[in-house]
Amino acid sequence: MGLTHWLRDVATRAPVPVFAGAAAEAREAVQRLRLDARVRLVSAPRQASVLLLAGRLPEMLLDAAVAAHDVMPTPRATVLWLDETLAPPPHPFADARVHRGGDVASALVDVHHALLRGGQPSEPPVRPDIAPAPWRGEGPYGQGGAGMTGGVPYGRPMATREDDRDGLTLDVLPVPVGPLFSGFPDGLTTRVTFAGDLVHRFELGPNPYEGGEARALDDPFWRALHEPVPIAELEVARVRSLLRWTSEAARVAGLDALSLRTLALAERAEPGDAAAVRALGRWLTHPLVTGRQHHGVAALDAADLGGLGLGPVSRASGIPDDLRSSDPAYVELGFETICHDDGDAAARWRQRLAEAEQALQLAERAGSRRTGGSGAVESPRGRLEPDSSPTSRSLVLLPDLVTGMEWGDAVTTIVSLDLNLPEAAAIASVAGATA
Amino acid sequence: MTATSIHPLAAAALVGALLTVGVYVVAVLDHAVWAVAAGRRPGVRHLMVEPVRRAALLLVSAPGDTERTDAQGWALAPALLAGLAALALATVPPAPDVSIVDPSTGFVVFSAAIAYVMIAVFLHGWSPNAPWPLHGAYRFAAQALSFQMPFLLAMLATALPAESLQISEIVRAQEGLWNVVRQPLGLPLYLVVGIGVSFWGPLNLPDAEDLAGGTMAEVSGVRALSWEIARSAMLVALAAMGAAAFLGGWWGPWRPGAGWLVLKTLVLLAVLVSSRHVVARVRIERFVIVCWTLLIPLALLNIFVSGALLL
Repeated sequence: MGLTHWLRDVATRAPVPVFAGAAAEAREAVQRLRLDARVRLVSAPRQASVLLLAGRLPEMLLDAAVAAHDVMPTPRATVLWLDETLAPPPHPFADARVHRGGDVASALVDVHHALLRGGQPSEPPVRPDIAPAPWRGEGPYGQGGAGMTGGVPYGRPMATREDDRDGLTLDVLPVPVGPLFSGFPDGLTTRVTFAGDLVHRFELGPNPYEGGEARALDDPFWRALHEPVPIAELEVARVRSLLRWTSEAARVAGLDALSLRTLALAERAEPGDAAAVRALGRWLTHPLVTGRQHHGVAALDAADLGGLGLGPVSRASGIPDDLRSSDPAYVELGFETICHDDGDAAARWRQRLAEAEQALQLAERAGSRRTGGSGAVESPRGRLEPDSSPTSRSLVLLPDLVTGMEWGDAVTTIVSLDLNLPEAAAIASVAGATA
Repeated sequence: MTATSIHPLAAAALVGALLTVGVYVVAVLDHAVWAVAAGRRPGVRHLMVEPVRRAALLLVSAPGDTERTDAQGWALAPALLAGLAALALATVPPAPDVSIVDPSTGFVVFSAAIAYVMIAVFLHGWSPNAPWPLHGAYRFAAQALSFQMPFLLAMLATALPAESLQISEIVRAQEGLWNVVRQPLGLPLYLVVGIGVSFWGPLNLPDAEDLAGGTMAEVSGVRALSWEIARSAMLVALAAMGAAAFLGGWWGPWRPGAGWLVLKTLVLLAVLVSSRHVVARVRIERFVIVCWTLLIPLALLNIFVSGALLL
C-alpha cells in the first residue's frame, strides 16, 4: 500500500469538513447537523471538501454557493439536500448528488469516501477559472498601478482614500460580506468599507430570501398570529430559539465546544430542564467566559429602542416591553417581565438565557392553556405582527449602530440582535400578497 | 557549572523530535478539552487517532490558491514560525547537565524569537492577497506591538534572582524557591501574553471566526496543516520556557530532572490549550488597552518588587 493510499484511507475516518448553505426551511436542520460527530461544519469554503446545499436556495444564495464551491480545495463534491416532496430546483452543480429525507450525514460521508478513494471524481469549477479582466498592477509583484487603485476594478476590491471621522484622509477598503459569511446570520448581505479594523461605512444589501413565492412560516409563533396555540408549545419553541441563538453566538465568539453543548440542550429542551438552562447560562455569561468580552459592546439606550418591540434586545436595555405581560393567559401563570439595564451585548446574552429559563418554567405551569389569534405575538425576537417582523425593525438600526466600530465588535453586535432574514422575507412576502 | 553540549545535528534532531511530540500532545489535549466542554465522551483511542486523521485529510487536500499571491512569503510564513518555535525551545535546558543551546544571552535569543512571530503572522496574512487574511495580519501587528513589552518584562524579572540572562542560570537560581512563588505576578502575566504570542483561543485575533478564519481564510491542505503545526509548536516552546523560567525547570524531589520539566510543561500546555474552549475571544481594542495600561505597569511592579527583594 503506497503512502498516498494509506493517507487517503486514514483521511476517510476524519469528520467530513462541510461548508453549507441553507434555504429558509432548512436552516435549523443544517444547524442540527453540527451535533453529528461524522461531519464538521466549517466557516470558510477553503476548509471544506463537501458543499452542502439544503433546501431550495434562492438565487442570491446559489450564486454565493457557486463562488464558495469554486474555491474549495480538490477533491470536492456537492450534495443537494431536499425534502422528499421537493422537486430538484434548477442549479448549476451538474455533478451534485441529490439526497432526500433525513440522515444527510451518511450521504456526506459516502460522498467524502468516494472522493478520497477515487470512486467519484473531484468536481470541476462551475465557472471558468479565468480572471474577469487582466491584472493591471505595476511593480515587481503587480501591487500598484493607476488602474488598480480605488473602487472595485475588474471585480477586485481595491483600497482607496476617504476622510475618516477625525478629518484625516486614510486608506479604506470596500469588501462585500455575505450572504454566506459565517460570522453573520444566514443570508445577511452587506458591503463594508473598512478603515483599518474600523467599519467606515456599512451598507445593507438585499435580503436573499425575499422575492420568492409568498409562504407562511412553519413556526408556532406564526400560527399564534392567527389562531390560539398551546402556551407550552410556544414557550418550548421560545427556549429552543433562544438557545439556538446562544449556540450561534458562542460559535462566533470562538467557543465551538460550548456552542455544541448549548445546541444539544436546545434540541432536547423540555419543561423540567430549567435547572440545566440556568447552569449553562451561569457558565456562559460568567465574566471570564463571555461577560467581560461583551461588556460595553453595542450599548443601546432605551430611548433608541422605544416602541420598536425588539424583545430581548429591548428588555436588555431596561424597556419592560413584552406582549405576554398584558395577555390574560400569561398573567394567570404569574408571568413577570424580565429586564436588564446595561443594554449591551453582554446584557443581551444574560437576557436571553434568563428568558429561556423562565420560558421552561412557564411551559411547566401552562397545562393546556392556549393563547394567540390576536394579531400580534411576542416571539423570541420581539413583537411579531402579520406585516412587521422584529428583524426588519432591527435592520433599520443596524448601519448607524455598527459604523465606527471595530470589526469584531460589529460582528458581535450583529449577532446580538438575533436577525432572522427568512422570517423578515416571509412576513414581507405574505403581507405583500395580502395587500 | 558546565553543561554538556550536544552536537549541532543531534541538537537539531532532538528539537525536531521534541516539537513533533509536543505538537501531537497539543492536538490530543485540544481535542480532549473540546470534547469535555462539548459534553461528549470520546474514548482514549479516538482522542489519540483523531489528530492523525485530520492531518491526513489536510495532506490529501489541495493547498488552494488566490490571485497574485506572494508565493515565497506564503511558503515562508509557517516555516519561519516553526523555526522560531524551534529556536525558542532550543534555549530551554532540559536537565542540569544537558543543554541544547545555552548561550549566556539565552534570554535575548528567546525574546528575539518571540519578537519575530509578528513577521511570520504578517507574512501569512499578506501573502494570499485577499481581504480577510490581510485584515488578520494587521490585527496581529496591533496585538503583537502591545504584548511584546509586558512579555519581555515578565521574562526579564526572572533574570534578576539569577543575575544572569542565561536560561540555565535562571533555572539554577530556583533551586530553593521557584519564581512562581518569588514573583507571583510573573507566571500569570507570562501565560496571558503567551496565549497572545501563539494567537491561541481568546487571543486568536488574526485567525478569528469574525474574519472567516483571518490569515487562515484562504489556506487549505498542506498549507493549513503546516500553519497549525507551527502555531502548536510555538505553544509548546512557550510552555517549556514557562516551566523553566517560573516553575523551577528541572528541579523536583526526584530525578531525572528532565522528567520534571516535561511534567511542568504539560501542566502549562494544558492551561494554555484549555483557554481556547472556555474563554471567548477577547476584543482587540480591550486587549491593547489592557496591555498598555495594566499589564505593563504590573510587569514593571513585578520587576521593582523582585529587585527590591534582592537588595
